[in-house]
Amino acid sequence: MTSSPGIRPLRRRVLATVPAAVAALIIGRPVAAQTGKLAPITIVINQSPWLAAFSKVVEAYEKATGNKVALDVNPFAGSAEKQRNSVRAKEGQFDVLAMNSAWLAEFYHGGFIVPLAEIDPTYKPDPEVINFDDTAYWDPKTKTNNSKTGTPHGIPINGNIQVLFYRHDLYEKAGLKVPQTFDELAAAAAKLHHPPSVYGMVQRGARSASDISYDWMPYLQGYNGGIFRDEKAGDFTVTINSPEAKKALDIYVQMAKNSGPPNPGSYGQAQVITALVTGKAANATPVIAAWPQMDDPTKSAVVGKVNVAPVPHGPGGKSTPTLGHFIGAIPKNVPKERQVAALAFLRWFASLDGQTLYAKSGQPPIRRDVYALPFMATPEFRWAKAVAESSPNARMMYTVPEGPQIVAILELRLNQAVIGEKTTVDALNAMAVEIHDLMQKAGYKTGRLADLK
Amino acid sequence: MRAHRHRQLLASGTLVVAAGAVVVPIVWIALAALKTQIALLRGDLVFTPYLGNFDELLFAKAADYFAHLRNSAIVATATTVLVLAVATPAAYSMVRMRWPRWVPAALLVFSLVFHMIPPITLVGPWYVLFRTLGLDDTHAALILTHTVLNLPIGLAIMTVFVRDVPLDLLEAARIDGCTTPQILIRIVLPLVRPGLAAAGVLVFVFSWNEFAVALNLTGRSTATVPVAIARFAQEYEIKNGVMAAAAILSAIPAIVLLVIAQRHIVKGLTVGSVK
Amino acid sequence: MRPRRQPWRTATLAPAVGVYALLAVLPIINLIVMSVHDIRWVDGLAQWTLVGAKHYAALGSDPLLRAGAVNTFIFAIVAVALEMVIGLGLALLVSRARTGAVVYRTVFILPILIPGIVIGAIWKLMYNPDFGIVNQFIAAIGLPGQDWLGDARLALASVIVVDVWHWTPFVFLLMLAAVESLPRDVDEAAQIDGAGAWQRFRYVTLPLLLPALVVTLAFRLIVSFKVFDEVYLLTGGGPGTATEVVSFSIYRRFFTEDRMGYGSAISVVTLFVLTLLVVLLLGAARRRDSRR
Repeated sequence: MTSSPGIRPLRRRVLATVPAAVAALIIGRPVAAQTGKLAPITIVINQSPWLAAFSKVVEAYEKATGNKVALDVNPFAGSAEKQRNSVRAKEGQFDVLAMNSAWLAEFYHGGFIVPLAEIDPTYKPDPEVINFDDTAYWDPKTKTNNSKTGTPHGIPINGNIQVLFYRHDLYEKAGLKVPQTFDELAAAAAKLHHPPSVYGMVQRGARSASDISYDWMPYLQGYNGGIFRDEKAGDFTVTINSPEAKKALDIYVQMAKNSGPPNPGSYGQAQVITALVTGKAANATPVIAAWPQMDDPTKSAVVGKVNVAPVPHGPGGKSTPTLGHFIGAIPKNVPKERQVAALAFLRWFASLDGQTLYAKSGQPPIRRDVYALPFMATPEFRWAKAVAESSPNARMMYTVPEGPQIVAILELRLNQAVIGEKTTVDALNAMAVEIHDLMQKAGYKTGRLADLK
Repeated sequence: MRAHRHRQLLASGTLVVAAGAVVVPIVWIALAALKTQIALLRGDLVFTPYLGNFDELLFAKAADYFAHLRNSAIVATATTVLVLAVATPAAYSMVRMRWPRWVPAALLVFSLVFHMIPPITLVGPWYVLFRTLGLDDTHAALILTHTVLNLPIGLAIMTVFVRDVPLDLLEAARIDGCTTPQILIRIVLPLVRPGLAAAGVLVFVFSWNEFAVALNLTGRSTATVPVAIARFAQEYEIKNGVMAAAAILSAIPAIVLLVIAQRHIVKGLTVGSVK
Repeated sequence: MRPRRQPWRTATLAPAVGVYALLAVLPIINLIVMSVHDIRWVDGLAQWTLVGAKHYAALGSDPLLRAGAVNTFIFAIVAVALEMVIGLGLALLVSRARTGAVVYRTVFILPILIPGIVIGAIWKLMYNPDFGIVNQFIAAIGLPGQDWLGDARLALASVIVVDVWHWTPFVFLLMLAAVESLPRDVDEAAQIDGAGAWQRFRYVTLPLLLPALVVTLAFRLIVSFKVFDEVYLLTGGGPGTATEVVSFSIYRRFFTEDRMGYGSAISVVTLFVLTLLVVLLLGAARRRDSRR
């Protein structure tokens, strides 16, 4: 990667200087001082199916600019801790944090992230970059993710969301239509349910740091329910035991009972994906990051038989997948020259070239214009349409640092509802009491609905 | 006589069954390393051997498994040496150097108590400490923490062995004018060799397999094997085949060590537990 | 006391004390201090608020913790009891085996060499209700398959089986050493006196093994109360709270939910309870020892 300029073919050298020059113009420094002169940076990121695509973009960036980017790759379990250690130290170790939606709130609320305009006053977000529920914006005054009152604090680096994976071969054979509502999905699942060879619907019913609550969230939102009345406006009245939420949980539990595997309460994301690739699941709603396994013959028994669609919704609702994406952000506690280099990389990554390369490696890009490119319409990329359609309406699961505690409550009670330890009404009422208690102790403006009967 | 043979048959039978229970999962892990992910997930008993897992582990573009093996070897070896080097004189000091009784007692009780804390709760303070010292992302940081984590075992075993060194030998050496370091090196060390082997193997294996602390205190260039293996247990895809391949490769050094040291360990522990 | 030897007395013990002081005492003090504080991060800086015993008071009403404490006790007692019995039994058998003792010794130690994370992942596949080798085996002998980790009634037992598989070797190793060091003549004398195999075990072997047994038991109990790796990959504490264990709750509260104060309080209480347990155990062993 460090071959001297003299050896490189002339054409490539010329091409390579163009993005550097653009970056230099944006940052406002002379071009000569720019090429390969930015401070080397380290990105902390976790091993994942999209890492290979990310690395390709990093390599291309290094080649094009001569700047050095090192990747500190960690297991997903523990990557939040590593980033936490770094941002809480006097001087940080990492210059770009690949923050998963699970710990985004903690890092924003803790005040660890530098506003991008502080690094470069002229910074403006690229309008083609997908908004992802305002998660790249932060308003330190109201402590909310809000693109109107807040300022850019990061750039999405991965557009992972939930979609419906379904076996189009089974659907065709049974003459079924791709479901748009949960009722249609439940009907299709029941029809395709032939245990033990095929389960109609395999859900992530397990209790973990985030399984069942993540899986159920599109039901809640798709029936126009929510955990809180209006999180963005600071109204944390707990509405988890609303009649809408009950409908959402009823159909979820009903599907688990009628068309799920024998113990749906033990299926985490990995099991759900296993069920898909082994041909045991007719339907499931994992994240799109799982896609590359479906068409890989060493990993899948159903190559070419799976398709994706936006997650269904309730009557009158709309398809609302939950975000499982990543934001690339720059911590306050690293020296200015490294912040500058980090921002230069993030912008290059989010550029049309960067994202085209990223998408070609099989991962959902974060730019609208890339979805419009011709290659995205080929069968290999048959997932792209559904992802492009559902990304704009994808929602964060939580935006407060108490999020993981709220999720812990949801995980336990939802799981108990699925395994039949609690009725849906009891589970929802228990959640409402516990979440209300938690928010009250943490000092939020909160309240709760009367118990469901 | 017949009852005796009967009993012997029963004993051999039990041993064979138990060995089977141990070996079957291990063979299964070894076979898993040779299966494609889909063959593994479906539990195929008949399959075409597949070397892709080893390929991905060892020769993929970003693969640096040999570097991880080297890191693990450095950390585990240094930890073992350090634990033994700290624990042996300390054991001698506690047992033979006439401390007031509460000193060794307090140290041993603290050892046990410390051994009970889930190491993960100590990782935060350790990180801050090593970062302040400029030792973050170095082998030294991990070696030091593994040393403190394994010191309780080292102290417990070495105390037992040092106590077994005959007093008259020590007394004779002292009359001959040996200094404390000379006694330690010439008399004590050779006699506690079996204990060093036993403690050494346990410490080596624990350090070799330790995950939680290694994850937090190592970086790109210092990550150890378990950290590398954990990377294959991803959010969306647990690469069981590659993990199995990594586990088999990482167990080989430990198995070799075990076979070589086996006689010492058993002999060592035998001598030690006479007490 | 000869003053001449003092510098060496200190010098030999100092490294151990130093290592503990720097890397063990300081973090523990830190843990205790954290347990009486609320720690929040504002503008990148930590804000510590003294809250006294608040976290300790909240422990009692933590639903996960209650389930976790019960499961941890069941887990530790059942798993360690099985490991002790099987480990001791195998040690006795191997020490008397005429052939293959070396092979058995090596084989029975193998499981400790495999990293916990791999054991978790592999056993999870073996337990898979649809394709796992456990159900394949069970089907072969004509019994119905089970969802070992998914069924709330079986999950904890399934996790215990994995722990027994993983840690019996540790007990085996220590017990084998103890058994092989037993004086043979006592056993032979008892045999000549006409004592049966069980009587010889109960009245001769067992009392002689007791000190080693207690030490091994203490070590295993301590470590089993820290059980984490297996639960983490096998069940994540579920289904429901069927396999929730204390160290896992600590991990969740401390790290996933970033409640350092509360997480520290759980750690400190756990530490206190375990210390009490070990002191009682060692005390009992010593009384027994001195009676002999």
